Amino acid sequence: MSWSGIAAVAIVLFIAPLLPGLAAKTKARLTGRRGAPVHQLYWDLARLWRKGAVYSRTTTWIFRFAPVVLVLTGVLAALFLPLDGQRGVVTFSGDLVAFAYLLALGRFFVVLAALDTGSSFEGMGASREVTVAAFAEPALFLALVALVLATGRLSLTGILGAPLAHAWPAAAPALAMVAVSLFLVLLAEGSRVPVDDPATHLELTMIHEVMVLDHSGPDLALLLYGSALKLALVGALVVAVIAPRAALPPLVGLAVLVLGLMVVAGIIGVVESVMARLRLDRVPQFLTAASVLAALGVILMLVA
Amino acid sequence: MTLFFLGIASVLLGGLSALALRRQASLAAIAFGVLVGLGCALAVVPAIRVLAGGVVPDLRLSAAVPGGDWVFGVDPLSAFFLVIVLTVGAASALYGISYLAPEAEHRPVAASHLLMSLEIASLAMVVTARAAMPFLIAWECMAVLAYFLIVFESDHAEVRRAGLVYLIGTHTGTLALIALFAFWAQFAGNLSFDALAAASPRIPAEGALVFALGVAGFGFKAGLVPLHFWLPGAHGAAPSHVSALMSGVVIKMGIYGLLRLVILVGAPPAWWGWLVLSLGLISGVLGVLWALAQHDLKRLLAYHSVENIGIILLGLGIGALGLRYHAPVVAVLGFAGAVLHTLNHALFKSLLFLGAGAVLRATGTRLMDRLGGLARRMPFTWTAFLIGSVAIVGLPPLNGFVSEWVVYQALLGSAQVPAARAAILAVPGLALIGALALACFAKVGGAVFLGRPRSPAAEAGGEVPRSMLGPMFALALACAAIGVAPMIAVVPAIRVGASIGGLGGGPMRAAAAAVGPSLLGISLLAVLLVVLAGAGWWLRELVLRRRPRAWSDTWACGYAFATPRMQYTAASFAAPLLHAYAPAAGVQVERTAGAFHTHPKDLVLDRLVLPLWERLRRGAFRARPIQHGRLGSYLLYLLGALLLLLLYLAVRVEGVGP
Amino acid sequence: MQGLPELLLLLVILTCFVVLGTTRLSACIRAVAWQGLLLGLLPLALYPRGGPHVWGLTAGTILVKAIVLPRFLRWAIREAAVRREVEPLVGYVVSLLFGVVVVAAAFAVSRTLPLAEPAREMLVPASLATVVIGLFVLTTRMKALLQVVGYLMLENGVYLFGLTHVERIPFLMEAGVLLDVFVGIFIMGIVVFHINREFDSLDSAHLSELTD
Repeated sequence: MSWSGIAAVAIVLFIAPLLPGLAAKTKARLTGRRGAPVHQLYWDLARLWRKGAVYSRTTTWIFRFAPVVLVLTGVLAALFLPLDGQRGVVTFSGDLVAFAYLLALGRFFVVLAALDTGSSFEGMGASREVTVAAFAEPALFLALVALVLATGRLSLTGILGAPLAHAWPAAAPALAMVAVSLFLVLLAEGSRVPVDDPATHLELTMIHEVMVLDHSGPDLALLLYGSALKLALVGALVVAVIAPRAALPPLVGLAVLVLGLMVVAGIIGVVESVMARLRLDRVPQFLTAASVLAALGVILMLVA
Repeated sequence: MTLFFLGIASVLLGGLSALALRRQASLAAIAFGVLVGLGCALAVVPAIRVLAGGVVPDLRLSAAVPGGDWVFGVDPLSAFFLVIVLTVGAASALYGISYLAPEAEHRPVAASHLLMSLEIASLAMVVTARAAMPFLIAWECMAVLAYFLIVFESDHAEVRRAGLVYLIGTHTGTLALIALFAFWAQFAGNLSFDALAAASPRIPAEGALVFALGVAGFGFKAGLVPLHFWLPGAHGAAPSHVSALMSGVVIKMGIYGLLRLVILVGAPPAWWGWLVLSLGLISGVLGVLWALAQHDLKRLLAYHSVENIGIILLGLGIGALGLRYHAPVVAVLGFAGAVLHTLNHALFKSLLFLGAGAVLRATGTRLMDRLGGLARRMPFTWTAFLIGSVAIVGLPPLNGFVSEWVVYQALLGSAQVPAARAAILAVPGLALIGALALACFAKVGGAVFLGRPRSPAAEAGGEVPRSMLGPMFALALACAAIGVAPMIAVVPAIRVGASIGGLGGGPMRAAAAAVGPSLLGISLLAVLLVVLAGAGWWLRELVLRRRPRAWSDTWACGYAFATPRMQYTAASFAAPLLHAYAPAAGVQVERTAGAFHTHPKDLVLDRLVLPLWERLRRGAFRARPIQHGRLGSYLLYLLGALLLLLLYLAVRVEGVGP
Repeated sequence: MQGLPELLLLLVILTCFVVLGTTRLSACIRAVAWQGLLLGLLPLALYPRGGPHVWGLTAGTILVKAIVLPRFLRWAIREAAVRREVEPLVGYVVSLLFGVVVVAAAFAVSRTLPLAEPAREMLVPASLATVVIGLFVLTTRMKALLQVVGYLMLENGVYLFGLTHVERIPFLMEAGVLLDVFVGIFIMGIVVFHINREFDSLDSAHLSELTD
């Protein structure tokens, strides 16, 4: 447990709402608009936090518990990532499994909360969310397996640390494919175009937005923050694969991470303005392509 | 071993008393409950002693029967499985008392209780037998008793049919097992396990035939794809506590058998390890996919058992590969993961089945698309079921995560073993299984307990009596305990894993050292999750107390006339996933002008087994002319057979020669 | 995994996957155009000091595979007024997964083959994978133009395999490139007979009606 690690977690938790704003700003600029300010989500969260809430009579405690679980699992997952470039706050062999399954725990409760409302819209969103997750998880794990093979370590600190920096020169193409695959998984997990459209208002075209339709007030604030946090965490994973920062002092490593996250958010904005959302039965195809890229990376690592 | 046999005797006494005292229901219930509970508690003591590192002497019964002495003993593997048998057996039996009580008038309830205690006894015998004869006899008793337990509601045609398919499946497996022991015995002096183990180096091709027959015979019992076709029908048709026992314990006997083979024969050949690994992956993915397609709650849970057997086989396969390629830590972790997941699955699957039984008792229907909104009417059942669901999906902080983690560790560890590196490709497979399981249990929880009731039956549901909730919460507590303090289960599992591989203390300590810090980390994570979740909930209440709160109808974008039937059903929830996996999912869609039905079909049963059966039947029908009832022809057959035998003897004697 | 040739081969495999996974006809044609370009650059990367023979091969391959043939295919699309959607017999997800399995199997198999040049460790697997994937595209896509694309990929794979011997057997590659002439004939046939899918009607089941 190091101070730099804890400080890194705190900083990432703080700047997480900045990333969706950056993506939206980039997209707005590219489409000729001025767009909302980059820190808009902070204002939204504060505004929602001050409001009261309206609950449906159909819902149970699951509906009110889910936002807490989402944020909690996000925060706990952040403890495993080596955000300062050196070590995660908590690290043990095999913690990459814990990382992925913590995010899945958050997802499970959000899906249950959506089904709790007894409405067909939320049920639709929940059904699509688990479908997307069923294709995104194998892709994520294939990418992690490729990293395990490249570095020979079994913890997130190990696979994203100094051994990765050593592995890059020899295994550059494979690791590049893994990074691209992780970026595609990021688009899926963060509910971004082309998997889901965060700006649409049509229930029939949403996935994440429609799951949180009935939440209001502080619960909605927690849910929005939770999904921004998930975006930040998977984004941090992408940045760590592309730019291993183990050789840098912790403060510089942290600065590189923040910069990298902002660049990733910008790229997401570019992707969102260039592509349209995929038809829903094409999403498995998209995520299978991500799995294929990661699988190719694994194959290259296995034969090397 | 005396304590063990005393315990078994008490269990049997409990069953007999249930039958004898059946006129006085409450007295019978108390006698049965107390005697069975006491019996299980007594019998589990030697098991715990062995798991803690002690040794229990064998019991040897010499008799002049073919097959040699009957030996019973408890070694680490037997001890671990004995714990599973007795805890889940006791929970199911106690649950069954109040579960079956309402049906005492028109169904043989007392006989069912007796059968249950006999079944627990024979399961315990299977696990402690150390010679082939008592093993096979106890195996057959277990299988046949299970059949009678399954066809409790024998007035329903589909229950009888399910029982018949089960009987065929299990006897085909037993046939393979008899062939296995018959083949093996020719190399050994007598049929005790020690003699068979000593004879195993003499088996040709590194025990290839033994292992192949083992996969067939034990695979039928375990329910791995494609030998699982009897499972959904049997577990769906049986009463819920019997389904709990079957899914939790009886199918694990197949796993026990496979592990026992590995102990007795030694390191399996490499092809067997790869075979078991692939079968595990296939069973896992297909099991959960078929579960997603089901409309019936208990059939869905039965298919999940297939999936979890797949996960256990993944651990078994990587353990076998680790043994073959001299990677002791991988082997120990693989076997430990398999064994641990067996325990955990027994715990949470029986919990889920008992919960399903509660739902069935409260509402009278098992179809998920007719249920809904039960969380308000049956809050305790929902809490227990939720714990079971989180556990079976393998999410922290519960026990499913711990055992899946151990299997992940073994699979990831194969990256260090040059010859078995490709096994790491099972890791994304396991992730896929987990994600599909999440989808499936979100579907179950959402459709059955959340939302609004979809039919009058669901509206009528009320909480079940405390005597049924008791076993459920006991199992849920066990799940939580292992999740928060994984060491209590993982350390014995590692001991068992080392004993399976025939590896000594060194690899055991190395494996324990490899996972020790991680277990502490997982425990810390679980504790943090529980504590912080509670703190978060409390903080949230604090914040919201000062905010205006209102209750209203579900907003759903302002549509004001939503009826309960407009909710997403379980089938529609699973539809996108099933559509994406359409060729493998086996869902038959029936579309008319005003209605839309989906029928889940079991691909193996409907496309393979039943057509094969039909062809066999027609072939047998064509052989009927042999039996036409004329005595003279039968005598002719006898004469012909005798002549053939004489001819064979003549040729053989000639062939031997001086 | 060092060096330019291995990178080019990896990109070739990726273009195969693009053909397997995309839904648009023009994207497929663009992918084989890129594949042709990469294949053209490969002799230069493998034998940088090969002399005018290698330069000629590079130029000729790029000309034929990356410029002429894709142009020809696009002209055929316009002339025959072909619908721009790929119509696969086997779904996209299954095609992609099949591709991964083929690549893995190609790597596994080529480990066991007695190869002349052990240093070119990615050339043979890439060629095997391209051949099999090309065959797969040829057999599972119902559009005639995509079958031509599949055939192109098939003989791109053969070309790749021939690259292991280019120094020893002169003019082998040139002979291989002549196979591309056949592709031109296919395309002419498609245009001349306006073959949109396999035959005039949707159903190749109509073929089975060609009995006495």
